[in-house]
Amino acid sequence: MKNLYVLVQLLFLFISGNTIGQNCTHNFSGIVSDIHNDAPISAIEIYLKELNKKVETDSLGRFQFSSLCPGKYTIVCSNRDGYKPIVKMFDVQENIVYNFKIEVHLKELAEVKISTLNKPKDKLSTLNATSLFGDELEKNRATNLGDIVKSIPGVNSLNTGNSVSKPVIHGMHSNRVLILNNGIRQEGQQWGSEHAPEIDPFIADKISVVKGANSIMYGSDAIAGVILVDTKSLPDSASLGGEINMVGNSNGRGGIIASFLEGKFKRLPAFSWRVQGTLKQNGTIAAPDYLLINTGLKEYNFSYELGWKKKNYGAELFYSQFNTTLGIFGASHIGNLTDLQRAFESKAPLKSTSFTYAINRPYQHVEHELFKTKFYINTGKVGKLTLVYARQYNWRYEYDKHGPLNNLLASKNNPDLEFHLTTHTLDLNWSHARSNGFKGTVGLQGMQQANTYRGRKLVPSFENASIGIFVVENWQYKRWEIEAGLRYDVKQLSVYQSEKIVDNQSVLVKTSHPFEQATASLGANYTVDTTWKCMLNLGTAWRAPSVNELYSDGLHHGAAAVEYGNSTLNVEQAYVATFTGLYTPNEDLHIEVSPYYNFIQGFIYRQPTPTPVLTIRGAFPGFNYTQTDAILRGVDVYTSYHFTHWMEWKVKGSLLRAWNQVANNWLIQMPADRIETEFGFHLDHNQRLKHIYIGPSIQYVAKQHRVPEGSDFVDPPSAYWLTNLNIATHFRMGKNHAEIGMHVTNLWNTRYRDYMDRFRYFTDAIGRNISLRLKYRF
Amino acid sequence: MKRNMFKSFMLALGAFSLVVVSCKKDAAKPTDNHDHNDSELITTLELKFSGKGVLGNDTTFVVMFNDTDGDGGNAPTQFDTIHLLKNSTYKVELTLLDKSKTPKDTISNEVLEEANDHLFFYSSNPSGLVNVLITDKDSNNKNLGLKSTWTTTNTGSGKVKVQLMHQPGTKDGTSATGDTDVEVDFEVNVK
Repeated sequence: MKNLYVLVQLLFLFISGNTIGQNCTHNFSGIVSDIHNDAPISAIEIYLKELNKKVETDSLGRFQFSSLCPGKYTIVCSNRDGYKPIVKMFDVQENIVYNFKIEVHLKELAEVKISTLNKPKDKLSTLNATSLFGDELEKNRATNLGDIVKSIPGVNSLNTGNSVSKPVIHGMHSNRVLILNNGIRQEGQQWGSEHAPEIDPFIADKISVVKGANSIMYGSDAIAGVILVDTKSLPDSASLGGEINMVGNSNGRGGIIASFLEGKFKRLPAFSWRVQGTLKQNGTIAAPDYLLINTGLKEYNFSYELGWKKKNYGAELFYSQFNTTLGIFGASHIGNLTDLQRAFESKAPLKSTSFTYAINRPYQHVEHELFKTKFYINTGKVGKLTLVYARQYNWRYEYDKHGPLNNLLASKNNPDLEFHLTTHTLDLNWSHARSNGFKGTVGLQGMQQANTYRGRKLVPSFENASIGIFVVENWQYKRWEIEAGLRYDVKQLSVYQSEKIVDNQSVLVKTSHPFEQATASLGANYTVDTTWKCMLNLGTAWRAPSVNELYSDGLHHGAAAVEYGNSTLNVEQAYVATFTGLYTPNEDLHIEVSPYYNFIQGFIYRQPTPTPVLTIRGAFPGFNYTQTDAILRGVDVYTSYHFTHWMEWKVKGSLLRAWNQVANNWLIQMPADRIETEFGFHLDHNQRLKHIYIGPSIQYVAKQHRVPEGSDFVDPPSAYWLTNLNIATHFRMGKNHAEIGMHVTNLWNTRYRDYMDRFRYFTDAIGRNISLRLKYRF
Repeated sequence: MKRNMFKSFMLALGAFSLVVVSCKKDAAKPTDNHDHNDSELITTLELKFSGKGVLGNDTTFVVMFNDTDGDGGNAPTQFDTIHLLKNSTYKVELTLLDKSKTPKDTISNEVLEEANDHLFFYSSNPSGLVNVLITDKDSNNKNLGLKSTWTTTNTGSGKVKVQLMHQPGTKDGTSATGDTDVEVDFEVNVK
């Protein structure tokens, strides 16, 4: 391992040159951020005792002392009233970067911003990342992961109605977006467009989206980006604490109770623990003019975590379970194209209903279980060795609209389609803290998974195994931060299919698909001055075709299409360039512009068959999975401006152009251009209520007219405007912290349909919802 | 100190037992679990005609749509054209089969059991080519359509659409409600 580290350092030597200075040229810099959610904090005083120098952090939490001579220094970071300042000693022999984490005032806790500078852990630092936490996370937390992250520019969701929502980054979703649940690659049936990620948002303290090819550390697949769902770190000091969240939703008359309890024993200072649980239910959801039949949902989730921390080593144990039963809007499961045509032509859905909490056919029942253990040991002064093993078990039952006609079969009430997926992952990483300007990680990752199915044939059973090795090094020098990474993966997908030899006799045939590929990434951050910062990343990423792309064979109910896989498909190879320009001339203005360019060789998509497929249910459009070269490019923008201390204005927008090079046409199912603006009012002069935020926002989504002609059943829906309103207040109750919030979505009960919602064929999108939330932290 | 050790041991044991208890069993090794006797397919539609054959004699003949591997997969293995004589009347019996099972399952018997939720619908294009009259009823005295009489007058060719509508609770004698379980367009030749 040490040799490898030396090798890596050598690799970088050609750029590093002479980094050791003898004169008084050293810098001491860093960022001050919130201990709970890493939000940068401005106007914090940093004191350098020996030189009697004081500086304040800027709007992005940054501070710097420059021209320091080598020697020992004491740095004092002031803290919240009533808390002790943080005092640290440093031996300055080179440039030092140290980030302070402090408790913050209520106001700052509420006034969170989304910013690229609030970097999630474990990502390439030259890629654009945006984190949601605090109010930004709270206001949408009662929905689901896909709907939460779409508040980030460049991120959308692919919906199957209200309860199934998949994140879409820069127009790509499913297997092209990697989700890390508490550091573990989420392995469910993510290939399916109506298979939502099996993650409880209340497990997370922070949800981050890294846009771009962030494949180096997590393995292939992350062509579009990575979503990091991070749990709160376990308590550091002896205590017993927790949180209770209660949410009520007007639409669907839904409710959520989510809570956690955590602590650390005085007598056993090495141990800390947390238990967490969520209960969620809603009934029939309403569009502006009608109720949507069978849209109820029931969910219960829980997790527990145990940490054991010694000075130089430690271990963690984490277990979580996600269980959901969700009704699929009844009018969307159709028998054939005639039914579909009838659904299009009808103004309101063909099946009406009254409000109920009952869930009937068609529905999905999904469970996901994660067990994770982590061990770490500090290797010397700068290094840390981490070993993580995880087992995931995903269990998916799908029930069609009608059970079998045969009474005996019907009485069994078996799911019409059933998947069981077990995944084992093992990660071994060694990372070293910054020394001589370098920091980095080397790692080895292995994965083994097995999938079985029962019922209607859609994809065959399979086994999947992969192993990857990576190295990433980051070098900081003056205003430059340069980062490079290399990775190599080998994987094999083995498919099991029965083949008939004679009547009533078949054998199981195994077909293997081996894939191997290298991944590379090179990026740079350049801080022009205190107002300008640029990030550029050039990376490759690849994805092996998934089992449905290789072997799909059958009618997709609800999608009203017959899909044919192609077992000769090859690897999808992406070349991705992302750039972010950040302009913060003063504390009041923040402008962030992020253009990107993806060239994807062998982009896998569904191409219509020349003639419809004839079945006993009538003729269906057929689709063959095929490969093309695609270009997906666009730009994401985020700006915020404080007119005064109590009023701010935010604008978010994203544009995307997705082109099929071979067909010389647009790519289907890409999110339309959109822009959103929010006016935020901070009222914090009231004595009892410490801080109130009122934020009305307006969103405009254009019509997606960049679609291949005649490739869809109906034209893309029209453009629409939506108005939302978020109100939040934070206050103290005795020694504890409480929050009350109200989030109104679709305030004017607008009738609209979104191009990325598969139910747009059948119904308007969800109407007004008033979500009231209460949080009590103790 | 001893107490602490004991406590931490108990804590670890407790945590471990929680994990063991709550972890679900692994699924079996991949096999092809496509259990043909556990799911239901409609693979075959048969129409048994009794009346005058093309040679003018009284006869019975069977016309078939057959797709043994169900929706998708391979194309239908048999899709017959219906040959009828002009100015004739035929008694027609419809049978739905699941031939993916051994022995084959007669789905139309199940349809008959749930007659109040199902309706077969026949439509001729051009409309005068064949006149189809449903002759069986459900217990609510509404049409079912497993049995029908087909009457021809003039020669010509066209199509007859055979539809099975699943209409739980909404059966009103039209094809405008419910979901389509079967829809086959038979070519028809009237000589």
